Amino acid sequence: MTKIYTVADNIITSLGFSSKENFAALKQRKSGIAQTTDPNITQVPMFTSIIDSNRIISEFTKIGNPDVFTRLEKIMILSINDALKHTNIDPSDNDTLFIFSSVKGNIDLIENENHPFEKDRVNLWAISDQVCKFFNSSVKPVFISNACISGVTSIIAGAQYLQSEKYKNIIVCGGDIISEFTPSGFQSFKAVSEQPCKPFDANRTGITLGEGVGTVVLSTNKELVKEENPVIFRGGANTNDANHISGPSRTGDGLYYAISNTLKEAEKTNTNIDYISGHGTATPYNDEMESKAISRAELNHVPVNSLKGYWGHTLGAAGIIECIAGIHSIKENCLIKTFGYSEHGVSEQINVIKEFKETEVKNFLKTASGFGGSNAAAYFSELNSD
Amino acid sequence: MDNYISKYCIIKPHEVIVDGKTEFSDSEKNEFGAFMKSIYKHYEVKYPKYFKMDNLCKVAFLAAEIVLKENEHLKELDPTKIGVILQNSHSSIDTDIKYNETIKDKANYFPSPAVFVYTLPNVMIGEICIRNKFQGENTCFITKEFDSEFLTYHVNELLNSGKIDVCITGWADYYEGEFSAIMFLVEKNMENKKDNISFKPEFINRLIK
Repeated sequence: MTKIYTVADNIITSLGFSSKENFAALKQRKSGIAQTTDPNITQVPMFTSIIDSNRIISEFTKIGNPDVFTRLEKIMILSINDALKHTNIDPSDNDTLFIFSSVKGNIDLIENENHPFEKDRVNLWAISDQVCKFFNSSVKPVFISNACISGVTSIIAGAQYLQSEKYKNIIVCGGDIISEFTPSGFQSFKAVSEQPCKPFDANRTGITLGEGVGTVVLSTNKELVKEENPVIFRGGANTNDANHISGPSRTGDGLYYAISNTLKEAEKTNTNIDYISGHGTATPYNDEMESKAISRAELNHVPVNSLKGYWGHTLGAAGIIECIAGIHSIKENCLIKTFGYSEHGVSEQINVIKEFKETEVKNFLKTASGFGGSNAAAYFSELNSD
Repeated sequence: MDNYISKYCIIKPHEVIVDGKTEFSDSEKNEFGAFMKSIYKHYEVKYPKYFKMDNLCKVAFLAAEIVLKENEHLKELDPTKIGVILQNSHSSIDTDIKYNETIKDKANYFPSPAVFVYTLPNVMIGEICIRNKFQGENTCFITKEFDSEFLTYHVNELLNSGKIDVCITGWADYYEGEFSAIMFLVEKNMENKKDNISFKPEFINRLIK
């Protein structure tokens, strides 16, 4: 199998504009979730995690004209631009493919009819066209919209194209913004927590939505690898519950199949996992389902966290920024605590990380689940970990 | 190794084409809703959940129903090895606009979870999976136009790597009354069937012309 190296990354959330800033906040147990009463977002006070708008404009002005891009496009361009600073990849090269993931894209253009953009800008493919144009890429981009698993699905797809040697480098960028659309929908489902979300906790009552964009650059080109022992992608899978379009499976079988297919592709067993970066949205049903899938995979002993308590559920970014955090957990040998968790609240005995811990981390399993019955998992490890 | 199209279906205004033949046509030239209902009746679909679906899901679901009709052997297969991979251009924007109408006016604010759940394009894949109990690889790709080159590449990779054995794949789109669906049942090499068409862009482009 061709080796798939992770060569550069970026995270933009309320916690900062780089992976470094974001991971430092995670290590310091600092959450970016705060209450908002902004009438353009919610009709009742709500906890959420928002990217600093002034900083988006001031950072973007350094590289382009902020007026000709939407909010999401600007953040995506900033994210890719920062990730590319850490590698020598030429984004306009014919060997380099862009893969995008977003759940709602430029949804703010539907809500605010007085925007200055052309009508077809609300299409998801219009976002990839704009961003690729900015980076002078003429390779036809890929756009994935797979609900809350979009980010993980995009990384798996990228790895598949590298494996078949169709491209040498893949730039995976995913994200979603917060406007009124998504919060109102989740509120109508009574799925939004009145307090900052509490993943896997006995008193969890729902999700906290967040804004975020992440970029991870994957490559098969060993010359681009700077570290002696880089983190590589080893396997991943997408599955479906085939049970309900909005409710998680009661048995966790879909997620269990995603985990077992992933470990099979990575040629690993349940004894080879140091850490699970869970989905942990903090809805009663999701976290319960996840605990069942983890237990069925016989991974009860493996430390697991959810990072949603730091930057909320960032939809199309979630899978990407949480994989990046996992990569940094390996690089910095530490486990991030599950912010918001204090009392065990799922039926299976899983090992939820309660406190930040410095310890050797050589690999991790990422899991995600979403609407449409979708589930995904991916496995990353150090090149020389076995 | 080639993978084969064992059945395909095209739904376009007033016409349903199956394996190259017009199987159903709507002489009354009905608009979308009535046309879909007439397809539902013609193919004797019995699935009450259909009536809850949004327009994108309806056209995708019916195209899948037609392709999967008389393919009972799929029920014998491992459900985790059956994938559903679809492309679409307008995502769920048509339903997004409908949902937005329910939150636009603060004096008449009634966000509906039943509408909100359809503001995701991959829900059409979920509906097909639920109906048929398919649990394999599933991804919704957004492309401006149907992209046979990319779709065949992606699906053939999944089949050839052994991640899936069978794939329901194609295209479904709905936006402001305009719609289309192209659905293929793709299976691995079957030597006993001589009429099958390879799942390759050059053959597909000929079929959908």
